[in-house]
Amino acid sequence: MAEKYYNLDTMLKPKSVAIIGASQSPEKVGHIIMQNYLNVGYGGEIYPVNVSGNDTILGRKAYKSVLDIKKPIDLAVIAIPAKFVPQSLEECGKAKVKSVIIVSSGFSEVGDTALQDQIVSIAKKYALPVLGPNCLGVMDLRSRVDTMFLPTFKIDKPSIGGVSFASQSGAVGSTVLDLISHENFGLSKFISYGNAAVIDEADILNYLAHDPDTRVIIFYIEGVKRGKKFIEVAKEATKIKPVIIIKGGITPAGSSAAHSHTASLAGSYAAYEAVFDQFGFIQAKSLDDMLYFAKIFEAQPLTTKKRVAIITNGGGVGVLAADSLYLNGLEMAELSENAKKILRKAMPPIVNMAMPMDMGGDADDKRFGAAIDVLSKDENVDALMIISLFQTPGADSRVAATIIKYGTESMKPVVVVSPGGNYAEVHNNMMESSGVPVYPSPEDAAKALAALVKYSEYRERMGSSNAKNKNNKKSKRDNK
Amino acid sequence: MGSLMDYMKAYNLLGKYKIRALRAAYVNSAKEAVDFAKGKMIVMKLISDKALHKSKSGLVKLSLSNPKEIESAFAELTKKGNSLKPYKVLVQEQIVSGTEIIIGGNTDPQFGKLILLGLGGIYVEVFKDVSVRVCPITDYDASEMINGLKSKQIMLQDPRNEKIIKTLLIDVSNFLVKNQNIAELDLNPIILHDGTYDAVDLRLIEE
Repeated sequence: MAEKYYNLDTMLKPKSVAIIGASQSPEKVGHIIMQNYLNVGYGGEIYPVNVSGNDTILGRKAYKSVLDIKKPIDLAVIAIPAKFVPQSLEECGKAKVKSVIIVSSGFSEVGDTALQDQIVSIAKKYALPVLGPNCLGVMDLRSRVDTMFLPTFKIDKPSIGGVSFASQSGAVGSTVLDLISHENFGLSKFISYGNAAVIDEADILNYLAHDPDTRVIIFYIEGVKRGKKFIEVAKEATKIKPVIIIKGGITPAGSSAAHSHTASLAGSYAAYEAVFDQFGFIQAKSLDDMLYFAKIFEAQPLTTKKRVAIITNGGGVGVLAADSLYLNGLEMAELSENAKKILRKAMPPIVNMAMPMDMGGDADDKRFGAAIDVLSKDENVDALMIISLFQTPGADSRVAATIIKYGTESMKPVVVVSPGGNYAEVHNNMMESSGVPVYPSPEDAAKALAALVKYSEYRERMGSSNAKNKNNKKSKRDNK
Repeated sequence: MGSLMDYMKAYNLLGKYKIRALRAAYVNSAKEAVDFAKGKMIVMKLISDKALHKSKSGLVKLSLSNPKEIESAFAELTKKGNSLKPYKVLVQEQIVSGTEIIIGGNTDPQFGKLILLGLGGIYVEVFKDVSVRVCPITDYDASEMINGLKSKQIMLQDPRNEKIIKTLLIDVSNFLVKNQNIAELDLNPIILHDGTYDAVDLRLIEE
């Protein structure tokens, strides 16, 4: 199967990079790309290429053409006006460059299909894996490759982790990257693929499905180029790891916007929904959901059982949480007699043992710890929703530390609900950076849990839940 | 863009895939229609490319059983038919009442054959309560197509309907996969009654 699809390894882990269109003018895309390579500490060779024939660009020897470099080139990044791209690509082919990213726009997305066709035929002639055109390129935090032309100070970069993100749209891509770092989960690879002229969705999904550094895939698409190949790859990919997908252009208005955007034949939304449902995708309907789902899948184990225990230090939010469980098809756990017995001793007499368990506004880390410990062990509980309102007198950093301890060790999925301002935010960041997903509302947490259960059921049905061993170990963050 | 397959041809083709429509035949005279009926209740329809909405334009005659009724219906339809030439007259067993569902097939430019299930009659357009899958579908997919509908409870008033619908969905999916030249399929309505079904109207569009 692998040889039917492009392998993106050299593109994501190149030992040498030519930047075509590298420039001394700071406002040029080629300049920013090169500067970014230097900024992120890329360890391979960098060859700036510019027709104007400068001697050096950003301190490196510059070349007029890739043909002049005469050394092995794993990746060429092309950032020059569209009309010069075919010639430049032809030169890459002749110079035996191993992979190419075309950042430039001005192809089928603006109606110039002829120019795009030229690129496709040159790529075919040299069997060149080409990403783009009209894209941001790639980012791989482990190999320190970053072809994006966004100034680094304008965008927060996520930490290194297990989520890989592929996006047809560069704008959605860069925005989401910024948000990912805010949601505190780790990124493996980012691939912005634009018009998908050569490398398309099926290639990318296939690559990420088999990439050992990727545990969770998130995918923004507007349309796919090869529907049947995409299904073929999806069937295998979703059996290996969760694939969260969001489709732009689901309404007639969005669809026509998407068409002029990347010029891909969209097909009907009903068909996409059918594909997502049928082949094990986790469909997100908003960017928020996409990030919220990614968070839980990255760090928490799968479960096909759906009895959720709710503990809270505030009654009202607990009631809302109970509603949101029900609305999302989850069930409220009923504690075992043994669990109740132990908890009665640990809690003040006023605490009722029925779910959601309100531990009181004065609940401190000891109460949180006792409750989470018992629930993690109770066989009547499949997942935990911990509501920690940091506005209350008892909740402080010790509560966050307790949640982190259990949330990263429990063999059951744990989600935290913690709405609030700056004080809450500090603790939420602590918890999230350790791998405990935190949500601003019970609805968001319940939706994420429901997505986890639904996907777990799919895996079980497909007979691939034995990969549980992998997914059932909580992943500690390998922060940079 | 594609042409409507002759009714009897479609009837026979679907029959090969165990998709059974009501017994039907083209007739050239009132006598042939009377012979077809054999005393049972029949429906008579005028089939013409120029008449798309048969029931709206009075081109369907219901509940005919005695020879007199059949003769006058035939006379009336052939008279209307003069302005809709070329036309044919189709007779069909009369349906009994039951739960109406619709099963459709379509071709998506990206993903190929799609199959659709919805509650029949006017509801399908009003509530847009339909489920769609890419063909071929599995047994599980067929169940989920039913489970995914809000109108599931109406559809399964008679619990025997579940198995009938599932079998039909799988047979239709199989039909669509093996007949790539069929761009569209419409079984609308299919009437579920007494532990069986009758596909009342068939529409196959060839590419």
